[in-house]
Amino acid sequence: MGARPLRYLSPPRPVRVVAGPTGVPCAVLADGRRRAVVAVRDEWLVQDRWWTDQPVDRHFFEIVLEPGRVVTVYRDTRADAWFGY
Amino acid sequence: MIVCALIPRLPLLIALRHARRPPDAVAALGPAPGDPQIIGTPTAAAAAHGIRDGLRVGEALARCPHLEIIPPDPAAVAAEHERLLSSLENIGAAVEAGVEGTAYFRAAGLERLYGGVGGVVARTRRALPVGLGGLVGAAPTRFTALQAARTASPREPRVVPPCDAAGFLAPLPVEELPLDPRTAAGLRDLGIRRVGQLAALSHRHALERLGFAEVHAWYAARAGDDRPLRPRTPPGELHAHMGFADPVGSLPTLQAAMRLLLGDLAGAARARGTSLRTLTLRVMLEGNGSWSHTVTLREATCDPARLATACLRLLERVTAPATAVEVRGDASGGPAHGQLSVLSIGADERARRMDQAAGQVRARLGDDALMRAVEMEPRSRLPEHRWALVPFDTSPHPGPSA
Repeated sequence: MGARPLRYLSPPRPVRVVAGPTGVPCAVLADGRRRAVVAVRDEWLVQDRWWTDQPVDRHFFEIVLEPGRVVTVYRDTRADAWFGY
Repeated sequence: MIVCALIPRLPLLIALRHARRPPDAVAALGPAPGDPQIIGTPTAAAAAHGIRDGLRVGEALARCPHLEIIPPDPAAVAAEHERLLSSLENIGAAVEAGVEGTAYFRAAGLERLYGGVGGVVARTRRALPVGLGGLVGAAPTRFTALQAARTASPREPRVVPPCDAAGFLAPLPVEELPLDPRTAAGLRDLGIRRVGQLAALSHRHALERLGFAEVHAWYAARAGDDRPLRPRTPPGELHAHMGFADPVGSLPTLQAAMRLLLGDLAGAARARGTSLRTLTLRVMLEGNGSWSHTVTLREATCDPARLATACLRLLERVTAPATAVEVRGDASGGPAHGQLSVLSIGADERARRMDQAAGQVRARLGDDALMRAVEMEPRSRLPEHRWALVPFDTSPHPGPSA
């Protein structure tokens, strides 16, 4: 018995994203291959917990990759890095 | 002789320490989340501005606009109180727990070990937690020992011998007696302002004025309170704790986490061959505070469903985002004996077999080999917060909406 941290099911992982000049993803490097973004289905901003030491500032994109796979990626504005699920 | 160890204003000291404020700050304990907006114990500096326990928050701020209101931390206070009791038990004392920061024990069993009452008192003083200004007093009765401790200094314990006890108590104000404040006010209206004046009454008159419910105060005033101490049995305590990466404000998430911890606790109690009598739920709140509630079960059990029924609804009272949840259980109940059923129920048998299989898989591959995905915050704007992995158990696990 004792302490245990809560483990989330699918924590975000760093991904390599090629973004266009407007910041919209153009391609994602996954499994050693470059997959072009066919469509951006949705995008939204999440700015939360700004009153704490760990504020959240993310720009989410729900994109369709080349073979038809739908993935969600986001750009962490504070870390200036891309993450995906 | 009875020895009393006392840490005055323990909740305030702990709250100040957690808030990193000095003891001489103009501060007072604030209300716990969900409680009426009433001020708790003030510091001496705040008391000098007219702040007192029981004042409404608005009135306190009107009297002293720069008053700092420190959120209480009952979980840390309970931990410190437990530390006090354990340290006294470690010197061999059979301790009766008083209110937070107070403990009593009989010196008789330790006098030969430490060289008389003076030696016991000196050893007790050394056993107190450092930095909290603990006081020690010894006297023939519990009430007298408490008053001796209150008038002692941190460096100099006070011992009141039996022949001086009545004289020591006589000049104290009558409000110090264990009486309802209204009764004490009534005594004052009748001109009884000192403990000695009450002690001088005959038993018949004291009974007439105080009634059976409070006549024990008359015995206490005469240093004749000879109720035996009831030392506690050191609890067979179990605890489980879960921390959140980000503060959690949704009730379903808190309930889901608490349900898991209750399952852990029930499993540990079952493995010991005991059952749980009392549970203490603690929620650490964002910003140094905490919420705590103790549940005494009508019947000792280690059935997770019954534990959940008794505990989960209480979490509705938590009104601030939580950074961690913790549950402590007193596993001193006997082996759980539920009503036996005449017929063997297939579902129970399947659950038992599944439990055994899960246990074998874990023994072979580790605790993380079998996990269950549970919905935590289905409406969270952060996708990773919607689902979590928890150890697989065979009991039915309703989602957070249950």
